[in-house]
Amino acid sequence: MKIAVIQFPGTNCEYETLVAAKSAGVDGEIFRWNRPAQELCDFDGYVIPGGFSYQDRLRAGAIASKEPVMETLREEAEAGKPIVGICNGFQILVESGLLPGLDGVDAALAQNVMVSKNQIVRRGFYCAWTTLRHDAPPNRCAGTFLIEKGELLPIPLAHAEGNLVTADENLIDRLNEENQVVFRYCDEEGNSTPDYPVNINGSRQNIAGICNPEGNVLGMMPHPERSNFAWQLPAFDPAKKGGLETPGPGRRIFESMKRYIEVKR
Amino acid sequence: MKINLRVWLKIPDAEAVTVKNTLIRRMGYGKALSDLKKERLWSIEVEDVENPDELARKFARQLVNENKEDYIASVDSLVFEEGYVPVKVGLHIEDGEAITTMNQLQNRLGFDMVTGVERSTVWKLYLDSNDSVKLAEEIAERLLINPHKDFYEVL
Repeated sequence: MKIAVIQFPGTNCEYETLVAAKSAGVDGEIFRWNRPAQELCDFDGYVIPGGFSYQDRLRAGAIASKEPVMETLREEAEAGKPIVGICNGFQILVESGLLPGLDGVDAALAQNVMVSKNQIVRRGFYCAWTTLRHDAPPNRCAGTFLIEKGELLPIPLAHAEGNLVTADENLIDRLNEENQVVFRYCDEEGNSTPDYPVNINGSRQNIAGICNPEGNVLGMMPHPERSNFAWQLPAFDPAKKGGLETPGPGRRIFESMKRYIEVKR
Repeated sequence: MKINLRVWLKIPDAEAVTVKNTLIRRMGYGKALSDLKKERLWSIEVEDVENPDELARKFARQLVNENKEDYIASVDSLVFEEGYVPVKVGLHIEDGEAITTMNQLQNRLGFDMVTGVERSTVWKLYLDSNDSVKLAEEIAERLLINPHKDFYEVL
C-alpha cells in the first residue's frame, strides 16, 4: 500500500503529512506536481496537504486546480481511490470541482468572517486549536472510515479562507441529506453553536469538512497531521501524555484512509 | 460622486504572469491570448466636493505605494485604453478588505466625505479573436472567478 502526498509550488505541510501517513502504517512518497501525471496511477491513495499553492495567486487553490495532476486525480477518484485534501488541499479540491462533487464548482472557501452576537469580531487568518465533531455515519467517508458518528477530535487549524459559502441555496441541505458533511466545528462537549469562537471561521452551519457523494474524497480545513502524535497536543489537553510515538487524534484520519484502501482493494 | 483609482505594479506582477501561464499552458488559450495584465481598482463613493482631483491624490497617498505601484485617477467615468478587454472581478459576498479600508479612511484618516468603498481587480486580456468579449467571458468563468463568491463584468 502506497500513497502519494502531492506537492505543488508553495505547499508547506507535505513532510509532516508523509510522517503522519507513515506512522499510521501507510507507505508513501512526496509527488511533485511536475512529474508525469500518469505516474500517479501507481498509488493507492492521495493526500493534498496544506500550504499556499502558487502563493494563493488569483484565489487559494485556483491555479493548482488546473494542473495536469488534478485531471489524473479526478480519474483516480472516479475509479474509487481515496483522496484527502487538508486546508489548501481542500481549497484545491473545491476549486477543481472534486468537492462537493455534484455539478462542477459547487462552492467556494471564502475569507474567514468571525461573528459573535451578530457582530463581526474578526476577519481573515486564524490559527487555533479547534474541536471537530464527526457528523457522518461510520464508513461513509474514506478519511473517517474508522471514526464513529459524534466522535470528537481536537485538531488545529491555520487558514485565512476556510469559510464555506455557496450561491446554491439548496447545496447545504443536499450535503446534509446525503451525509456529505463530515466534520463540524463544535465546543469541547460537541455542541455546534453558530457564533465565534465555536464556529471558528464563519463557515455555513459550522462545516469544517465535506466528502463527495461516493465518499472517497474528503476535504477538511483543520490539519490532522498537526495532532498526529499526542505530544503535538496543547499543554491544556489531558491527552498530552505518553512517549514520542503515542498517537494523537489526527492519526485517525490516516488510519481510516489505510483501512479504506484495505477494504476497497 | 465616485473617485476611481486604477492601481498597477511597476515591478513585475507575479500573479498576472501565473494567471497568464495557466491560461496558455494549462487551459489552451495560447493562440488567442497574447498578454495579460492586472490592475487593482478602488471605487470610492464620496459626497460632492469642490476639488475631486485633489481628493483623489489624497486617497492615492493612502492606497498606493508609489515605490512599487503607479495609478490613474478618474472621477465618475472609467475609461480604458484600446487593445485589450478589461474584465472587472469583485466579490459579491461581503468584502472585508473594502469595509476595513472604508473604516480606515473615515475613522482613522478623517475623510468624512467617504460614503462607500468598492475593491475589485481588473484583468486586461489582450486577445486575438473575432469575438473577444465572448472569449473574455469564457476565460472569466473558467478561471478568473469562483461564482460562489465572485462576480465579473466585461467593462
